[in-house]
Amino acid sequence: MRVACVWLPHFPVAVERRNRVALNRRPVIIGETTEQRGAVLDCSTEAEGQGLRVGMPLRQALGLCPSASFLPPDLPRYGDAFDQILRALETVSPLVEPATLGCAFVGLEGLNGHYRDEMALGGALAQAVGHACSLMSSVGLAEGKFTARVAATVSAAGEVCLVPKGQEKKFLAPIDVCLLPCSRDTLRHLGLFGLRTVGDLASLPLGAAQAQFGSEGRRIWELAQGIDGEPLRPLRREESIREHLAFYAPLISREALVTAGRQLLTRLLGQPAMNGRVARRMTLRALLSDGRCWERAVVFREATADQEQMLCVLRTAIETAPLTAPIEELSIELSGFAGETGKQEGFFSGNGRQRRQVAESIRQLKARYGRSPVAQMVEVEPWSRIPERRHALIDYDP
Amino acid sequence: MVAHTGAAARAHRLRPLNQPRPIRVETDESGEPQAVVLVREWLAVAAVQDRWRIDDEWWRQWPVSRMYFSLLLEDGRVVTVYQDLIGLRWARQAY
Repeated sequence: MRVACVWLPHFPVAVERRNRVALNRRPVIIGETTEQRGAVLDCSTEAEGQGLRVGMPLRQALGLCPSASFLPPDLPRYGDAFDQILRALETVSPLVEPATLGCAFVGLEGLNGHYRDEMALGGALAQAVGHACSLMSSVGLAEGKFTARVAATVSAAGEVCLVPKGQEKKFLAPIDVCLLPCSRDTLRHLGLFGLRTVGDLASLPLGAAQAQFGSEGRRIWELAQGIDGEPLRPLRREESIREHLAFYAPLISREALVTAGRQLLTRLLGQPAMNGRVARRMTLRALLSDGRCWERAVVFREATADQEQMLCVLRTAIETAPLTAPIEELSIELSGFAGETGKQEGFFSGNGRQRRQVAESIRQLKARYGRSPVAQMVEVEPWSRIPERRHALIDYDP
Repeated sequence: MVAHTGAAARAHRLRPLNQPRPIRVETDESGEPQAVVLVREWLAVAAVQDRWRIDDEWWRQWPVSRMYFSLLLEDGRVVTVYQDLIGLRWARQAY
């Protein structure tokens, strides 16, 4: 399976720098500021040079790099920027799988005829990303996702690294084992055994790797051999409708926001896409006056097209939202559509009259077919370890 | 689950639910599933997510001994299959 990996290192930092030129060439740390108890979400290469790592506690990070510009994460904005990238990649290939923020895999099956060679195809992917978000990406092309990702990781921004088919093992041999997808504990053990490179691991017999590291050992040994059968799972885009409202003066009243939300819901539910359909999910998004975003996705207990039910959920979401600045714009997105259906009531849970009617209908059916065509589920041995012994159907005979 | 009506249960009317269904499975030399047939189509196993063994009713004439596998298939579906360790037949069954 020929795959390309498009890699934008330190994606959150790159998005922040794109919007604030002053952050260029300065150490930048992105992490949640609440009581400084969170962890580093991302940091720039300058900060990495001073010993910072993603996932490190913020207190430790600030101690190591006190001169860094510290930013709270703006996840909705990073998500939007990454979505733009995915859409740009979909103009090159229909098979695009988002891996992590700033990393995506692209299926290359059937694209050979459209480009001069694979280098040109990799160049087209990098160019598509550049046009979409003005960020430099590196591209790795290889047989399998792991090798493609390593190829992209070791390439400089804007470069395309091609690993020819059959050369995976040779390409991976000098790579540091820390790029293998395994637990920190396994990495530590690999170090203790003196296995520094992927080639060192590949030189072991499979049995030795598996005996030491279990199923994870088998997986990383196979990857070291260039064997990667992990399938590509392309992104399936979901239909959604969205409405937004920009305010002339930023709002601080939550009640005013609920009123704005009601107006947006009226617009959304009046759209032809909602005709005879119900929505499962609602995503609220507010653009704050300091340029940041607040986003909250809510999944309804039951898919609905009822404005009052939606408004009730919206009101709760707005009242509990940690809004740190006035709101300039509010948007609502509905998704997860399904056909509008009646509500299924319990067959035997009606009132006395209804139960009598059901019983009479079943008696008539029994008279016609000789046996009751209605069955009910009963517990037989619910404790049994054998699945088919737990429940059974029994004829319902009123 | 509905409330029991009080009608007497008769054994001949009980129809077990979740009966195992035979399935064709291709295994490697260690006996681990590599591909299964679903709707007349071979699908490769992307990962074995879990495995567990059941030994029960060993005191009876036909004891139960099964090795279950939870399989992630190449198309993203997850199926549970088991091998009957006595008859060596494969079956699909939700657990």
